Amino acid sequence: MARTLAMFTDTSLCIGCRACQVACKQWNELGMEVPQWTGTYQNQPHFTDQTYRLVRFVEEARPTGELAWLLMSDVCKHCVQAGCLEACPTGAIYRTQYGTVDLNQEACNGCRYCVSSCPFGVVAFDKGPGTAKKCTFCNDRIQNGLGPACAKACPTDSIQFGFREDLVAKAQKRVEALKGMGVRDAQLYGADPRGFLGGLNAFFLLLSKPSTYNLPDSPKLPQRNVVADSLLSIGSGVLVGLGALLAFRGRGQGGGDA
Amino acid sequence: MLKAPQWEMLIVWYFFLGGIAGGAYFTAAIADNFGSARDRAVAKVGYLLSLPLTAACGILLIVDLGVPTRFLHMLGAFKFWDPMSIGAWGIGIFGLFSLGSSVLSFSTSAQALALRRKGSLVGSIFGFFLAAYTGVLLSNTALPFWGDARLMGALFLASGASTGMAAISLLMWLGGASSGEGWDKVKRADRYSMIIELVLLAVFLGLLGSAAQPITSGRVAPLFWGGLVGVGLVIPLLLEVVGQRVRAVAAVSAVLVLVGGFVLRYVVLMSVQT
Repeated sequence: MARTLAMFTDTSLCIGCRACQVACKQWNELGMEVPQWTGTYQNQPHFTDQTYRLVRFVEEARPTGELAWLLMSDVCKHCVQAGCLEACPTGAIYRTQYGTVDLNQEACNGCRYCVSSCPFGVVAFDKGPGTAKKCTFCNDRIQNGLGPACAKACPTDSIQFGFREDLVAKAQKRVEALKGMGVRDAQLYGADPRGFLGGLNAFFLLLSKPSTYNLPDSPKLPQRNVVADSLLSIGSGVLVGLGALLAFRGRGQGGGDA
Repeated sequence: MLKAPQWEMLIVWYFFLGGIAGGAYFTAAIADNFGSARDRAVAKVGYLLSLPLTAACGILLIVDLGVPTRFLHMLGAFKFWDPMSIGAWGIGIFGLFSLGSSVLSFSTSAQALALRRKGSLVGSIFGFFLAAYTGVLLSNTALPFWGDARLMGALFLASGASTGMAAISLLMWLGGASSGEGWDKVKRADRYSMIIELVLLAVFLGLLGSAAQPITSGRVAPLFWGGLVGVGLVIPLLLEVVGQRVRAVAAVSAVLVLVGGFVLRYVVLMSVQT
């Protein structure tokens, strides 16, 4: 197993240029989309089958009365505990030797279970080929010693690419520096391997709480209840079976069988 | 911010027919193994009903896929912790049991009878599975309501039982076999299943609390309360108590139970997907 690769998106450096969004579309040969009016410069309200990197423009009212304009290049989180991967019944979604989560277009049969299993709503269904689509962490690039297209294109190094431990260390230093400068709400999202989902291999530095960016504060693996739910189903089966047994063994016009 | 999988009418029908197929089969297995010789008709109808329904389920699932020709890719992996994966295998294995039991229903030899009865006990595990697993599949997604519903699988199983038994009794009535003891027994089993289903539904809603809003007070709420609770469970139970000896009344109640089972799958699936 090779060392884990990661992307660290430092939103404090983002200028909202969307070079990452364009580079992603170009490298992955994604289709043109008619932008959906969101009331901001954001092109789409959320990830689509043709948008794997999406720059979010969030206006947050601060107590001082000012509006903070928060810019965030959002992407698939490549979760250490990935709901989409656990859901996929064909093995099309799998983890690469680098820890990233790839989606093999040849294996996908379009059941869409992954679409409903992402706590962030990342995976989208492409009606054209009938398969699911998401950021692959530029798998073809990383398998050839290159970094993701978005990281390459970012002019401010807001998106950094490297080995996970190195990036986490950098991120922690950066948060401390920001806090020292008075940015009290600076926080990491997904950097902690003991945190939610085992940590995210595409993690972030945010300038406000996650819900400001429409990110879940404490995302959970959707499949965490499989055992409990299955046991409850078995319990129901026992009850129903007993009922049927009672009905068929009970008082009839005499018993015995042939 | 979450995305729905767009499982719509094809999957509503699949959930409904799969529940009946599984429920009819395990009812048949119980009648075959624990009932008297007079209950054989219940067993035969149950086994034979499950076969074309399972085939229909397979077709519905395949057609719903984004790339239907790749349906066999499901058999490229076996992840026992993944409801979708074991579901694909499970429905296939159940189909084989359904076929075997159905074929053996036409034989009168003692060996065929013994084999059928032993086989259907094993097959009924897969029958229970088919009725329940789709609920567990939903309750392990990230979506609101679905993902919060710990009892979805349990509820679907009870509904599979009540609809499967209703379907058997309706077919028997239509085929003129409703004057036997077997019919009385399957109706009784159906009443027990409906009571279990009502109790489970109450606990299901209680545990969900406000998370149940999509079905209790959303767009589909009238269908849920009127179609499932009213038409699908309370009214048929009342009808059976009041019209005990009148077979036609019991046949009507079976139809209502089936309608209720369809409504359950419809409201669960469509309430979260616009």
